[in-house]
This record gives sequence, C-alpha cells and structure tokens, in this order.
Amino acid sequence: MSAVDLPFEPPSGVRGALIDVWTMARRDLIRTMRQPEYLSFSVVMGVFFLVLFELVFGGVIAAGAGVDYDQYLVPGVLVITAVTGALQTGNTLAVDLQYGADKRFRSLPMSRMAVLAGRTVADTIRNAVAVGLVAAVGYAFGFRFTSAGSAVAALALTVGIGYAFSWINAAIAAKVRSAELVGMLSMFWLFPLMFGSNLFTPTVAMPAWVKAFADNQPISVVATAVRALANGSDPGLSVVGSGAWIVGLLVVFVPLSVRLYRRA
Amino acid sequence: MNQPVIVVEGLRKVYGDVVAVAGLDFEVEAGTILGLLGPNGAGKTTTIEILTTLRRADAGRATIAGFDVGRQPELVRRVIGLAGQAAAVDDRLTARENLDLFARLYKLPAPERRARVDELIERFDLGGFADRLVATYSGGQRRRLDVVAALIARPPAIFLDEPTTGLDPRSRLELWREIRAMADEGAAVVLTTQYLEEADRLADDIVIIDRGEVVARGAADELKKDLGRDVLVVHVSDPADLPRAAELAGDGADVATDAGHRMLTVQLGDGPPEALAVLRRLSDAGIPVEDFQLRRPTLDDVFLTHTEVRR
Repeated sequence: MSAVDLPFEPPSGVRGALIDVWTMARRDLIRTMRQPEYLSFSVVMGVFFLVLFELVFGGVIAAGAGVDYDQYLVPGVLVITAVTGALQTGNTLAVDLQYGADKRFRSLPMSRMAVLAGRTVADTIRNAVAVGLVAAVGYAFGFRFTSAGSAVAALALTVGIGYAFSWINAAIAAKVRSAELVGMLSMFWLFPLMFGSNLFTPTVAMPAWVKAFADNQPISVVATAVRALANGSDPGLSVVGSGAWIVGLLVVFVPLSVRLYRRA
Repeated sequence: MNQPVIVVEGLRKVYGDVVAVAGLDFEVEAGTILGLLGPNGAGKTTTIEILTTLRRADAGRATIAGFDVGRQPELVRRVIGLAGQAAAVDDRLTARENLDLFARLYKLPAPERRARVDELIERFDLGGFADRLVATYSGGQRRRLDVVAALIARPPAIFLDEPTTGLDPRSRLELWREIRAMADEGAAVVLTTQYLEEADRLADDIVIIDRGEVVARGAADELKKDLGRDVLVVHVSDPADLPRAAELAGDGADVATDAGHRMLTVQLGDGPPEALAVLRRLSDAGIPVEDFQLRRPTLDDVFLTHTEVRR
C-alpha cells in the first residue's frame, strides 16, 4: 500500500514537544487536585521538621551557635520541602514504568521526553505551592524576608533545586523501574544530603571532611543563599553557586533520564 | 480486492540466544481482524511491540499504511492505535478526560477534539460512566475505555494486545462487539489472544505462532477443516472392556484408549454414520457404554495439534 495521506499536519519540533509537555503536566496537575495528599505530604514533612527542630533542638542549637534560629532554620526547611517534594517524580514515574502505562505513550505521536518533562513540570508547580505554604507557616513562627524581591529570589532558588532533584529522581526511576526501590534508594542518597548539611545547624563543629561536604553540597548552598537573601546579608558565592548547582544537575540528569527512559 | 494496511515480511527478533520472533509474515486488510494466537512466550507481544515502534526488529520489515516501522516510526505512530493492558488509562481522571488526553497527544485540532470525544462516548455507549473517575470503574468498563481510546484519531491500524484477559464473560462480549465495530468502521485490526473462542468469534484470519514461528494460518473454519475429522469419545463402564472395544472400533491408528478415564477416543473418517456403526458394534458385543459424545474439531484442537505436539 502506498503511504496514506495523513489527515492533518500536527505541530512538530519544539512547538509540538512543548504542547506535549504541557498536556502531560496538565494531566498530573488535575490528578494532584483530585488527590491533594500528594501536596500535603511535602507540606507536612516541612512543617514537621520546622516544629521538631524549632521546639526540640532550637534552644540548644541557637544558644550553642549564637544565631537567630527562626531565620536559620526556616530556609533549610523550605529546601527540605522542595527536595522531598521532588521524590514524587520518581514514585509516579516508576509506577508508570512498572505497570507499562508508558508503553502506550511511547506508541503515540508525541515527544518521548514529554512524559518525563511533563511530570517534572507538574511536580515543580506543586512544589512551588508546598514551599509557599511552608514559608507561610514559617512566617507564623517569626521568620521574615527583608524584602519582597529577596523573597521571590529565595523561593525561586528553592523551587529550582527541587526541579533539578525531580530529574535526579526521574533518572533513578527510569533505571530501576520499581516504586519501592526508588523509595528505598532515596534513603541512601537524599538523607545523607539532608543531614550532612547546614540545614539544621551551622557546620562549624563538624569534622573537617564532613564540613567540606556539608558546606558545598547543593542543598546547603541553596539554603545558605536563601538565608542570605532572607536576612539581607552578603550571600557570598551562594546565590551563584546555587544557580550553578541547579544548572549543573539539569545538564547531567535531563539527558541521562531521557536516555535511560528510551532504553525501556 | 483491498490493499493491505499492515504488511509484515520476515520479521525477526532475538533476545540473547532466545528467538522471540522467527521470520513472521502476514498482511491485514482494511476492515478485517487478524487474530494472532499463541501460548505465553510465543512472541505475540514482541510482535505487537515491533509493529507499534516500541522495539526494533533485528531483520525483516513491516509497513503500516505505507510507512516503515523501523525507518519512519514518527509517521507510523500517527496511523496506529495501541490498547490492551489497560494500564494507560488514568485512575484519577474521568473517561472523558482520558480520551481528551489522548486526543491532545495525537494533536487533534481543538474543535475536532471535543466532538470526537463526544462521538466515541456516544458510539460505544460509555455515557453511563463517562464523567466518573476511572478508579470507580469495573474491570470491564476500564478495559472498554482503554480500547476506545485507541480509536481517538481514527487510525487505519489498531493493535489490541490481549484486550480481554481476565474479564468476566459479559464484559468480554461487550468488548467483542466494540472490536468488531472497529473493523466495521474500516480499521485493520491485529488482536492477540490466548482465548481460542475469541479468535474464532472475531478474527477473519488467524495466525497461530509458537516460539516465534508461524505454525498454522487461515480462516478459523479452514483451520478446523484442515485438522479434519470428527472425534467420537466413548466412556465404558468397565476399563477391562477397553482393549476389546478398541479392537471393535476400527483400525488401531485412529483409536486411543485411556484406562484411567475408562475412555475410548475414535478419530472418524466418515463422521456421524461411522460413529453410529462403532456404537452399534460395541452394543452388539455387549460392552456397556456409560456415555458418548461426538466432537467436531475446535480451534483448541488446531491449537494443541500445532503447538503442544512439538514440545
């Protein structure tokens, strides 16, 4: 049979891909609104850390380190909210891969990358809402930004690192294809980053090699930048460093995720 | 004669040292259903995956509506619909939203999109549950939505991978009607199934594959005719009578006995008249017969003859 005349010429290239990304993101956002527990998980996680550290360890840490602990802790908690929220990308993607939902998508005339990109975009929009809610709770505890501009910049960096972490999770899910395994693995890579950090306490008292790690890993760098922006103090290299981490992680993990996903 | 929409020539796929598909050929015309039948691991799903661009063949070629699946996968994806495992319909969306999602991904122009979704809901009688979340559906409703979604862009070729596996009989009947309707609207349909009855009822042509190879093909009736003869099954009261009964029944080659089931099986050269003659001889010899039946060959016999015999 000679090739049929196709009924219409769909948008192709970048425009077609963007339509697909938005279509997939829209689907995920509708699902999130139907099942708001996904949103509440990361909000509850953030508030949990906020209350726990503030009330239980706050006095000791503030006295020992000589810092205003609200201003110190809340930026760290915002970053935690973003990076734990990003775990959702790995979970849902792994479930789709595990049960073959993505096979159907791969048989459609759509961008392959859109399955991943749509999900990370939706998760990031949800993450922005979660970070905003946790910031509001922080406000109630006495946390303040010095200006609206710095608040926007700080929240953008926080959501940005969450976006980069979404792609790390996408790569892991594309590799292991099991929601249980994705969840278990996060204990091994995300927890060291969360606790081997300056999120809860300054790093001055840590052993030198731990301190070197804790000062420079992405979560700490972003938390430092958010703190400086909140306090109106000199951010040093932290803002630039945050941007570099976000871009660097995306440069590595976007192509890696797409490659692992295509290998399916 | 219609031009074939799906043309498969010498398709081959090897995983390590396992040959999943060993040189498959078939054609499917518009408006017809091809039943791809085979036991688990026969290569059915691999074949579907190659034809829907999810995997690349190692050798051979296949075209769909004139587009080559290996070399023009983007174009092929615009002329196919794939359904079956129901995993792609989203629990937290309604049927309408699921259909709309697929319509958007096929890039149907916006005005047509809504009209097409409504048309499918109407045509396939999904109205009763179209605006409820899929999570509340029965297995059958879910599967029907999954299959209908493959039609959204009116693709000339539709692939259904075991669409009725695990469904109750009523849901299966409903789904059969839908699959038949797809072909009646002009699609070339490839249906994989483990259910012989399903192939018998739906498929215009049947290809039986086993270990990646075609072991039989043809229309269901032809396949049954080729296998040939009617079978008389007789249960005797006393297994001790079996050897004598077998002797009376006819030439040794066409008779088998099973003492455990007190059963005698006779392949008949001449159908019912010969069955009567055999039964009369048993009766004349005073061998008590408990039960008998005359079986026409079924697709199961075709299937078992062509697959299990080789093991």
